[in-house]
Amino acid sequence: MSSTSGARPLRPEPVAILAAGVATPIGLDLDAFWSGLLAGADGLSAIERFPTADLRVGRGGEIKKLPPVALGIRSRAAALLVAAAADLGARARLDAAPERIAVIVGTALGGVEELDHALTDDRRARRALDGLYDSPAHALAAWLGARGPVLTVSSACASGATSLGLGADLLREGIADLVVAGGFDILCRFVMRGFDVLRSLARDRVRPFDRRRTGLLLGEAAGLVLLAREPDARGPRLGRLLGHGSASDASHVAAPDAEGRGLQAAIRAALAAGDVDAADLDFVSAHGTGTVLNDRIETAVLRRVLGNRAGVVPVNSIKGALGHTMGAAATLEAIMCLLAGRDGWIPPTVGFEEPDPACDLDYVAGTCRAVRPRRMLSTSLGFGGCNAALVLEAGS
Amino acid sequence: MRPPGARVEAVGVLTGWGEGVEALPQDARASAGGRGVIPLARPSLQGERFRRATRECLLGVVAVEAMLRDAGIDREAIRGGGTALVFVTAAAYGASNVEWLAGQAGTLHFPYTAPSVLPGEVAIEFGLTGPYVILIGGPTATVDGLWQVGQLLAGGQCERALVLAVETFAECEALWRRARWALPGPLVESAACALIGPGDTRPVYGATGDAAPLERAAEARAGRTLACAPLVALALARAAGHRTVQVRGTWRGRTAAIELAVAERPIRV
Repeated sequence: MSSTSGARPLRPEPVAILAAGVATPIGLDLDAFWSGLLAGADGLSAIERFPTADLRVGRGGEIKKLPPVALGIRSRAAALLVAAAADLGARARLDAAPERIAVIVGTALGGVEELDHALTDDRRARRALDGLYDSPAHALAAWLGARGPVLTVSSACASGATSLGLGADLLREGIADLVVAGGFDILCRFVMRGFDVLRSLARDRVRPFDRRRTGLLLGEAAGLVLLAREPDARGPRLGRLLGHGSASDASHVAAPDAEGRGLQAAIRAALAAGDVDAADLDFVSAHGTGTVLNDRIETAVLRRVLGNRAGVVPVNSIKGALGHTMGAAATLEAIMCLLAGRDGWIPPTVGFEEPDPACDLDYVAGTCRAVRPRRMLSTSLGFGGCNAALVLEAGS
Repeated sequence: MRPPGARVEAVGVLTGWGEGVEALPQDARASAGGRGVIPLARPSLQGERFRRATRECLLGVVAVEAMLRDAGIDREAIRGGGTALVFVTAAAYGASNVEWLAGQAGTLHFPYTAPSVLPGEVAIEFGLTGPYVILIGGPTATVDGLWQVGQLLAGGQCERALVLAVETFAECEALWRRARWALPGPLVESAACALIGPGDTRPVYGATGDAAPLERAAEARAGRTLACAPLVALALARAAGHRTVQVRGTWRGRTAAIELAVAERPIRV
């Protein structure tokens, strides 16, 4: 058997994040995304791509016009991933043998819209296979010409964090030399109807950590990063992934644990894996969905983790700008952290205006804040009791 | 000091043919008699908590129970943050998704369309609060899951791990048949769980072009069990008394393989 890993000890070394590419409601490339975040752009609008008249809420972070679809890309989910990959490719070369390039993406919905098409349109029956949740990842790998491992993570809205963590493990084990890792999800009727009937959607706007918050709004996006082993990385880089952690709540399938125990365990695991003390964190990118429960629980967890620095470490959520982009969210938030470290600006929490006594951290409000964070924490939660955390370091 | 490697301690397997590898026919295709799907019945688990749970969630629970029987341990032995849960499936979410799309499901059903809710129910049932990874795909994803468990053990992030796979097809049989996915059959519904603990030998990950007798045996005897196939192969190897096994999977043109140590089966008294 041709082993690629057995002789190597596990090396908990940081992994270099060389570049990033995105497709989001506030910009179809990294520069537009970043300038939109800094400007406090609102990417939420009336949904136009599918009917919403029967839903309580018909707004979301919809991308109005995707770039032209490449040959062989049949689903919107795959098209989103390819758009982000094209942006990534414009910033960094995939300079490795195809069989040494891995693709690992996270998603909450996969290609489920294709399943809908296959059920309602007989001519598309063969496209039912595009409805499998791992189809977009394979479409992306084919588009990239990557022939290494292709993994799909589906830990709901924490997927885009776990994918980066597993990508780092692939590199540390020598299974791949480059990893394209990230997350994606599209806005479709399937998921809009689901959150609508759960009464989870805000009727006006998303207000993370605000006293008046009433719920989330969904968005569609893809975010990808290019990972490499630190010693192999040449040229400039966005930063480093120091550690990741995950944990299960084991308490409820659709609501976070009331004490946030799983989230706290995931954060502790990520800090331990990165050999970082909570006292060294300069910034937290919170999951911050804008739901009453999530924001209160997450605040309490961060307060416990940060201890006496809880009131002075800046915290933000970018879901007020993009909506909750599900499988893409954690990756986009990690990218935002690295850009904040690069440029010395932390984007504001769009929608946060009136403080809630139950949410008493130092949320970045109003306009972007001039801070250059070096070590950052990003947190994520999802259906099924999923929790994940990333510890990142800005590029030097 | 924790050993650096990993070892398969137990494997529980349920298939449309019955419980355990003893229930598998010698020739799944012949035994299917032209049926495209060999179904597994909905487990009859009692309790209010399971009232809304889907069939695939319950299959996940009974697969863990089957593993506990194979290991000769009770559920307290796996409870807590020391146990990681890695869940893998290619298609078990299909039934819930189709039901939701068809408008046949109630309001509270929507979360069950997420693949993460099946392991979520399993985590609740057994009190599993350790590291948590959910992979989508066929047998290669399960091999990747076994590799990930090795990472978690070596990194000290858990003391043991469950690799759980569930596949259901019955609700979507007509769709898969139209998509020509059900050929060559049979697609065999299955749920399998392996308990991986620390061991002296590190798992060896890597694809190989060599023939893989276990992979062929698992498909010949069980049929197409997709993500469950590597765990069926592990169970066959364990039943045959192998101490080191290579399990391999191929899916969407990619092959992955891993070599693992396997613990001896406990002597039943």
